This record gives sequence, C-alpha cells and structure tokens, in this order.
Amino acid sequence: MKTKKNLHLSLLQVLFLIGWGFINNSMIYGQETMEEAIISISFNEENNLKTIIATVKDQEGQPIEELDLFFYVERTFSLLPIGDVFNTTDENGMVEVEFPSDLPGDSEGNVAIVVKILESDLYNDQTLEMTKKWGIPVQLDESQEKRSLWAAAANAPISLIVVVSSMIIAVWYIIIYIIYNLFTISKIKI
Amino acid sequence: MKKSSIVKQKFKTQREKDVLSHMISTSLKYKLWIAFLFLFIVFGMYGYYRQLRYGLIVTAMRDFTSWGIYISNFVFFVAISLVGSLFSSILKLNDNIWSKPLIRVSEIIAVSAIICAAVIIIVDMGRPDRFFYVITHLRIQSPIIWDVIIISTYLVISILLLFISILPDIAICRDRLTEIPKWKKRLYKIMAINWSNHPKQLAKLQKVTKVLAITILPVAFAIHTVTSWLFATTWRPGWDSTNLGPYFVSGAFMAGAAVIIISMYLIRKHLNLKPYITESHFDKMGKLLVLLSLVYLYFNINEYLGPAFKMVGVEGEHITELFVGNYAPMYWFVQLGGLIFPVILLMFRWFRKPIPIFIISVFVILGAWFKRYLIVIPSMQHPYLPIQGVDESYLHYNPTWEEWSITFASFAWLLLIITVLIKLFPVIPLQEDELDLENSVEPNSLKNEN
Repeated sequence: MKTKKNLHLSLLQVLFLIGWGFINNSMIYGQETMEEAIISISFNEENNLKTIIATVKDQEGQPIEELDLFFYVERTFSLLPIGDVFNTTDENGMVEVEFPSDLPGDSEGNVAIVVKILESDLYNDQTLEMTKKWGIPVQLDESQEKRSLWAAAANAPISLIVVVSSMIIAVWYIIIYIIYNLFTISKIKI
Repeated sequence: MKKSSIVKQKFKTQREKDVLSHMISTSLKYKLWIAFLFLFIVFGMYGYYRQLRYGLIVTAMRDFTSWGIYISNFVFFVAISLVGSLFSSILKLNDNIWSKPLIRVSEIIAVSAIICAAVIIIVDMGRPDRFFYVITHLRIQSPIIWDVIIISTYLVISILLLFISILPDIAICRDRLTEIPKWKKRLYKIMAINWSNHPKQLAKLQKVTKVLAITILPVAFAIHTVTSWLFATTWRPGWDSTNLGPYFVSGAFMAGAAVIIISMYLIRKHLNLKPYITESHFDKMGKLLVLLSLVYLYFNINEYLGPAFKMVGVEGEHITELFVGNYAPMYWFVQLGGLIFPVILLMFRWFRKPIPIFIISVFVILGAWFKRYLIVIPSMQHPYLPIQGVDESYLHYNPTWEEWSITFASFAWLLLIITVLIKLFPVIPLQEDELDLENSVEPNSLKNEN
C-alpha cells in the first residue's frame, strides 16, 4: 500500500516538473521573440494614382520581410479596410497599397489612414495613424441642419417642441395643483 | 393575523365588517395564492437572469422580429390600464350610480397594469442599465419618447386617482382597525394625511376628484393612441394605417371591461362581497362589454377590409398569413372567440349572469392578449425590404421558454400587486353615500348611463 502511495506522489512530482518546465519555456520563448517593429509611412502620388508605402524595420534597423500589415481609412463608425486581403512586406520590408480615389474626407479632404500590425507571431500589435489630404472634400449639406423630424435632438421642429411641451406642462401643472391641494388637505385641522 | 382578531375587532356597521374583515385576517387560501404567484415570479426571474447574463440571444427575437411577446404584453398591459379612466372618468362623470362600487377595483387594476407595462418595456431592453439614456439623450421627435412621457404621466395620475378615492376610507382604517400590526397602523396614519371628514377637506377632495376625472380622460386616450403610433409610424404592413389610434383605444376599453368582470367575479366570491357586487352589476357590465365590443368590431372591420380588398404586395401577404396562413387559427380564435361570439352570447340575459359572463370574459381577455400578439409579430415578419441571404432563425418567431417565463411572471406580478392593494385597502367604498344604491337603479337603464 505504502509503495503504491509513494509511486503516486513521485508521479505527481514528475508531472509538476514537466508542467513547470513548459510554462517556463513558453515564458522565456515569448519574452525573447516578441519585439517592437518600427513602421514608417510615405505617400506617393503619380498620374492620379495614390499609393501608401509602408516600411517596417526591427529595432536594429534591419528590414522585416514577410510581415502582414493591415491598412484602413477611418470612417464615421468604423475602419474601412483598403489594399489587398494580404499586404506582405518584401525583402526590403516594404509594402505598397493603392489608395481609392473616391473616398470622401472632411470639408478639406482630410482622411485618417491607419496602418496596423495584428496578431503577428514575432512582433507586438501596433497602430500608426496619419492624416492625408487625399479624400474628396465634403461640404455638409445645409438642409441636414434644418429643423426636421429626422434631424438630431437639437434640431427638432419648433412646432413639435411647442406642442409637446405645452401638453406636458398643462397636464403636469394639474398634477402639481392636485398634489398641492392634498398637501393643504393635510394641514386642515378640526 | 389569526381569526381571533376578527372577533376582537369591533365594527360599527355590517358594511364595515363585510369590507374590512379580509384585511384583518389572513386565510390559508390567501397564503397559498401568494405562494403560487411567487412560484411564477421566481421562475421568471431565473429566465430574466439568463437574459441578462447571455443577452437577448436567449429570446427568439432576431433582426426582423425585433419586437416579440414582451412588446405585445406591453400593449396588453397599457390596454387594460385604460379601464381606470373608463370607470373613474367616463362612467363617473355621467353620474352612473351603479358603477361606483367598481371604481376602486378599476383604479387598482389601472395602477397595477401601468406599473407592469413600464417594467416589461425595460425587460425588453437588451441593456436595461442604459434605460436612463432614454432621458439623457432625449429626442422629442421619437414616438418612443412620447410613450415614455405619457406612461409616466398616466402612472402618476392613476396613483393619485386611486389615492384620492380611498383617502376617506384610509382614515376609517386608521381610526377603527385596532387588531392590525403596527406597521399597518403607521401606514394608514401616514397615508390618511390628517383626514378628519372636515367640511373643508371634503370640499377640496370633491374638487380635486372632479379635476382629476376630467384630466385623466385625454391622458388615457393619449397613452394608448401614442402606443398605437409606435406601430403606425413604423413602416411595416398592417401598421401603416390611420385607423390604429381609435382601433387600439376601443380594444383597450373592451379588454378593460372584461378584466373588471373577471375581478368582480373573483372578489365577490373570495371576499364574500355578494351584497355589494350584485348580479345586476354583472348584467350591466355585460351590456357595457357588448357596446364596447361592437365599437371595437367596427374598427376591426375598418382595419382589415381595405387591405384585404386590395391585397397589394407585402400588405396582401400579411393579410393572407392572417386569414388563411400560419396565423389563421390564432386570428380566427381572436376574432370569433374573443369578439364576435361574446357579443352574440352577451345579448342574452342568461349569459350575463356571474358564471357565464366570467367565462366569456376570460375568452375576451385571451383574445385580447393574442390580438396584441397578432398586431406585433406577423407584421414584423414582413418587412418591405426583400429578405435575402439571412439566417434561418430570422424568418420565424417562436418565443423561447425564457420569454414565456418572464411573460407569465409579469402576469403574476400584476396579480400580486392587485392582491396586495386589495388586501391593504378597502375595495368597496366604506361610506354609505358611496353605495351603489342598486334598488334605485332600474335594471334596463343602461341607455341613460352611458
């Protein structure tokens, strides 16, 4: 019985050591390999063809080859992906992405271009954002700012505000009047 | 409280004894009833816990049917809450003496129903913690905001109406009930707000009652009309109708009258109030229900005849679905069992007796609930935009057990609030001058009373 128990204990010890070794190894492996990449972006515009050129280097200044980059343009609610499905760096650590010519920007044509490294095995996630005047300038339609049923809360039609408010005030005036009367009832003494 | 309390308690009149006895003693039947309701509530709370934990995905609501039984239940609760205004305003302002013993029941039901309506709408929200965003991000153009405003207003008015109606009786409870626990004595003392039947107090109370009876009428019409606009302003087949406001309001009055009949029957039976809620009341309520049902039938014909005659596009598909499609059994049960048969049967005096009219009213209420289901769900399943490449689950709506458990729990809450209010406050006016004066009313005097 005793030997069986000892065997169990030593088995547990072995398993524990193996497990500990794995955890240690993975921690060391992770710490050694994950590092910060350095992204730099330049823009090129030739014959109406707009290109974003991203270059990625490691901490020692060596170009990083075969790293996937993700390119986006910031829109109102989310990021619009641009470029190919995979945009992989070449032997010089460079990748080129064409910028669509029909994207609307702000009133001056500014758009925010975002480049990301995501879920790489060797490099930490990173985001780089730059503003460029490559969008089509959009002048806000004044009619959108007019007071209407479909406008934002601040631009509700005056007539609606007046009608709704006066109804609310009328009814709540009566409610307060009644509560006040109940209060005076409580003050009447024999 | 034990039964000996009733023996110790001294009553001045037989009426006081009849009305107040059940407030002093708690029977086993009452406890079992409360336990039964709690069973549903606990089950519903578990369903709601799952909904909070995993999100609205536990319901059958998806992109097309984004309003399910919670919303149909909400419309149902708003509908029956209108009954308060029917009795406290319409019948009262027309000097109907016979309806006076029923005013309080109607007000209790109104308060309970509107509380449940407000709660069920929060249950329908995926993120109830964001409820106050509705107020902080208020957009006056949205019919949902109109609904939030009108529901809170109607809730306050209904509570005030109930309070004003029971105020003198609370004072009687404060003064006469000796064999009750301390907390109840304190409650009556606070709620009686120094009421002493002083002539000045009486004059003020009468004035306030009249003002409130007039005020509640437009508010009651508004609450259900605005609820109908939630649908009418949304572009879906079956809702794109100018008829929807009066259609909802008339349906609400019909459902409300049926709820009153059911309550009358149960209160009369279980609280031994036969001398106060008489067969004559059932007879008159039966006639009133026929009148209200006929008005509702008229709006029903208006609602369906036009689209059914034209059968245009998705609107036609919607009508086909209701008349001969998947929803046909429910649709015809609602129209025949919940509307047309009750009207025909209640025209005969025998069916206006307590038991038959009680059974008929149960059918009317079932019809009213399923009617709201038919108003909400089939319309949601027929959007005007074409349905392409969507998940199979988007195309059907069969409520999940979580939705049913929460819905049943909401009914249990409604009944619990009503039960507690009836237990705490006299359900029939204690003062003689508030009597129904049954003998002074002629049996066939409905024409003078509406």
